Amino acid sequence: MLTEPVALMLLLSVAGVVLNIILYRLQSLQMIVSFLVFAAMLALNLQLYGTIGETLVLPVVVFGQAMSFAVSPLAFYFTLMITSITLLTVIFSLESLRGKACTQAYYLWLFLKTFGMLGVVFAADLLTFFLLWELMTWGTFFLMQQTGGESFSPAKKYVVYAVSSSMLLFLGIALIHAWTGSFSFREVAAAFPHMPEGMMLLVVLLMTVGFAVESAMFPLHAWLPESYASTFTSLTSYLSGISTRMGIYGLILLLFGFVGHELADRFQLIGVINLRYIVSIFGALTIIIPTFTALFQHDAKRLVTWHGIGQGGYMILGIFSANALGIAGGIFHIFNYMTYVTLILFSIAAVEYRTGTSNLNKLGGLIKRQPVAFLGLLFGIIGLAGIPPMNGFVSKWFIYKALITEGYPFLAISAIIGTLGTILSVYKLIHNIFLGQLQPEYNEIKEVPFLMQLPIWVLMLAVFATGVFPGPILSLIAEIQSSFGLAPVPYTMTGVDPAAGTLDMLVITTVFIGGLLLAWIVFLLGHKRRHVSQYQNYAAGHFLDESIPYNFNYNFYTGFEHIFNPMKKKVIARTEVAVSSLVEAAGDYLRRIYTGNLATYAMYIMAALVVTSLFLKELI
Amino acid sequence: MSTVLWIIFYPIIAFAIGVILLGYGRKFNARVQRRYGPPIQQVFYDILKLMSKRTNISHGWMHDTALVMLLGGTLLTLYFIPVPGFDFFSGYGDFLVVMYILLIPSLGMALGVGETANPNGSIGISRALQMLAGYDIPFALTFIGMAILAGTTNFSEIIALQQAEGIFGWGLMTNPFLGVAALIALHGMMGEKPFEVMVAPHEIATGPMTEMGGKYLGMMMIQHALNVVIELTIYINLFLGGAANWASYLVKLFVLMTLILSVNALFGRFRVDDAVRFMWKVPLVLAVIGVLIIIL
Amino acid sequence: MSEKLTQRKAWDIVLDKLTKRSLWMLHYCTGCGAIELPPTMTSRYDMERFGISAMVTPRQADILLITGYLSVKTLQRVILTYEQMQAPKYVIGFGSCTINGGMYWNSYATIKSLDQYLPVELYIAGCMPRPEAIISSFTELIDRIGRGEANSWQDYYDNYDFYKKNQEHVFGEINTYVDIKDDKVKFGI
Repeated sequence: MLTEPVALMLLLSVAGVVLNIILYRLQSLQMIVSFLVFAAMLALNLQLYGTIGETLVLPVVVFGQAMSFAVSPLAFYFTLMITSITLLTVIFSLESLRGKACTQAYYLWLFLKTFGMLGVVFAADLLTFFLLWELMTWGTFFLMQQTGGESFSPAKKYVVYAVSSSMLLFLGIALIHAWTGSFSFREVAAAFPHMPEGMMLLVVLLMTVGFAVESAMFPLHAWLPESYASTFTSLTSYLSGISTRMGIYGLILLLFGFVGHELADRFQLIGVINLRYIVSIFGALTIIIPTFTALFQHDAKRLVTWHGIGQGGYMILGIFSANALGIAGGIFHIFNYMTYVTLILFSIAAVEYRTGTSNLNKLGGLIKRQPVAFLGLLFGIIGLAGIPPMNGFVSKWFIYKALITEGYPFLAISAIIGTLGTILSVYKLIHNIFLGQLQPEYNEIKEVPFLMQLPIWVLMLAVFATGVFPGPILSLIAEIQSSFGLAPVPYTMTGVDPAAGTLDMLVITTVFIGGLLLAWIVFLLGHKRRHVSQYQNYAAGHFLDESIPYNFNYNFYTGFEHIFNPMKKKVIARTEVAVSSLVEAAGDYLRRIYTGNLATYAMYIMAALVVTSLFLKELI
Repeated sequence: MSTVLWIIFYPIIAFAIGVILLGYGRKFNARVQRRYGPPIQQVFYDILKLMSKRTNISHGWMHDTALVMLLGGTLLTLYFIPVPGFDFFSGYGDFLVVMYILLIPSLGMALGVGETANPNGSIGISRALQMLAGYDIPFALTFIGMAILAGTTNFSEIIALQQAEGIFGWGLMTNPFLGVAALIALHGMMGEKPFEVMVAPHEIATGPMTEMGGKYLGMMMIQHALNVVIELTIYINLFLGGAANWASYLVKLFVLMTLILSVNALFGRFRVDDAVRFMWKVPLVLAVIGVLIIIL
Repeated sequence: MSEKLTQRKAWDIVLDKLTKRSLWMLHYCTGCGAIELPPTMTSRYDMERFGISAMVTPRQADILLITGYLSVKTLQRVILTYEQMQAPKYVIGFGSCTINGGMYWNSYATIKSLDQYLPVELYIAGCMPRPEAIISSFTELIDRIGRGEANSWQDYYDNYDFYKKNQEHVFGEINTYVDIKDDKVKFGI
């Protein structure tokens, strides 16, 4: 049976690529067309809800296998995020990239990437999944090096990582096919539990590592910060917001779709420690180490991209917690993370649009000039830090609660350490950009145009509304859990069922608003206040004016630098250098077989023929 | 009906207790220094004076909002911590919620102080946040340990479990490692010496309070009074078996406060990195030992 | 003064009675005399029993205690500090030098009488005044506030032109980013 919206969505994204090639030089037309196509895709996506469970088989045959797509609840959840965030990115870019150089191919690659992601998410067999996964990583690569120049080298680094991860995935898929004789998800899932233990372990390890690279899990994260931060800021938000999370999609599919978490517990290594627990430990390290690295960044975008890695750790902790609450928390965190990180990066982009810099040591005091961007960043960081009443808190609460219930105190404390580190670095972010002294060179700047404010307002609403009413999203997640045969999360419209835990966001928010009102009354009880110039300020009797920089933002956490500086060993960067020089050396040796001497080549051919003829029998 | 009365009057009661605790602290300090000291209601006079200042200055709307957020967030926290006779809201948010709504006031203050555009304030906030990471990690770990021990994260259930077994059921007795670790972390949380790095009047001109005057400082003092009650009550609820009635609650509050004031009176001030190192060495190691005892 | 007294409402009388017990002091001690303050604060005389404690920044302070002579340069700082304080605020001149220049009468660099530049609430005469004198001035200030008579700070708003003229006479124009006349209207003082 043909599910029309799926076919149309895939068709539309291909059409978008084609249209953008036709309109290569006509930037304004490109913008309008891209906006309309993405809007149509979001509209189609909303219709998908009725078609969950249906399968579409395309008349395209690859390696004797027809490409097939299906709409699972998980696919619906992810496509909803993909299409909505792409539309917001396009709306934001309409204004922010207008008239900029190197943007002719911007929408083209955006469509290619979206096509890849939609395909991966809809795919119903492993071959389709893998082909579109490849397409998606190429889309990522092209988006990364959009600004040209300096962004090319980190993008190349990504390609090395992505190709290695694809090789691992390919090997895993080949092994699965060799055992089950099928690519179809349904058949693979049915045959998976009967695999020999060693082979299953190998497949799971290969694919986990492959997906871990894409989701930037701890020791394999080094490609991310530089490459995301060096492209356009609107793309940084798009890439961090959704692209990185495709790795998590893969992990969910692998763990729940194929392995099943009861099976995952089977790989006992020592005592109670099993594979699931080991992945969780890497998840915990993914939270702590990148979060504390973010603390010492001097560039707003790089700081946020480091958090992008760290937040992935929460999702992994949640998904691998084997607890209905925790799994729901992990899946919910993907959505929450997407909303607030995009909000944060849009706000940073708004600042960058006016000031031309995202260097945290050069900004300050912009709250007086860009209040909307400030509010956007404020909502975003409250979400990112996981403080009520924003949505980041709800999913993090699920994860903490699940880890405590399952009795993993040290995983739970690493999640909390991550939150504390996040609070520190996001305060540095908002302080150095918006608070403190306004620099004289930014005295004249204005708020960004309406089209750039619109996505910020929408996301602010989303971050707040899903925080107070997590129910609608949780209902989708409960469906995902049921579709994988897991226990669904016991949710209510405003929190969790009292039997499973104590959380009611509506009550918390109401009491908070009541407290604010009371505090406001206390504030009004005092006499009037007046707003004064930033130069009327305590400086121990010194007269301040524009010529005196009276601001504290460089090396914001000096105490922590004393503590952490001895620990900064850059192990991963040095490993990368070692590996690349090893590859270079090996390549240098391999190169020497091409001596340029005809006799040597003739000898090679002879040797090859001899070897082949020896094994000819086995080969045939 | 009684719930409504509690909701209306509880902030006032908590404020009165907080003011008296702070006044008691100043008197205690004075007596340690062989002074006569101010009257015990001195903090109330201070707050009244600050609120009735004729002129007030502000550096912008976030500076105003910050004070509202500071006090509003504190009131929110206050309601979610059960005290004898009033635990209406603890069924809607557990300790994990309290731990994170405790951060709303800090965030509010941090934002407001940031807008005052005074580097002393920013340095104070930077130190306060570093201290937060210092004391909150051991404190959170002690809580996780208690939650695993009790099998719940709900305050009133933890209190009921402790009270069921009398004084030997108290968290401090069942797991003294966690109790002591949390006590040291609480000391840092209350910002008393030697962890008073955030205010440090002699180095950074009272840090966050530098540009606060009049009603702004008054609201910060009101919040401080409430915060003292909140922090002590959290410790009492987790490790001193909560309180069955108001008499024992007040006794526990004053005993705990005296303990903290005695340490406060004896010490100078740590540097911020030394304070954090201390927090990550002594209480954190104690908490890890306590948790290992529980799970093994 | 008596006119202001009759203006006090019942609420203000109660408020004055209570708030007089809390006075925070900023001590400006670039001249001499700072040595008299530690005994006043510590166990011998303990000014905290009257609710008086030392504060760090002008925003928090009610009393500006100025000890000893003021040079023309330090006077600018004093005025900046005074204008950053929140009303009601009280200036206390400490020592002979603030009253008439004292032993610096002939100096080209110091000012002679502080009340030409700032509204002084109280002077403590002597060279040096002992801690007892400081305590007695504080109790005097407390009594005046209780009676609603400590209103010298309003004079700065009412007669700003006079003070401004004298200030500019010694050091010319300074910019404290405070508009006293506008404040008078805004706060209704």
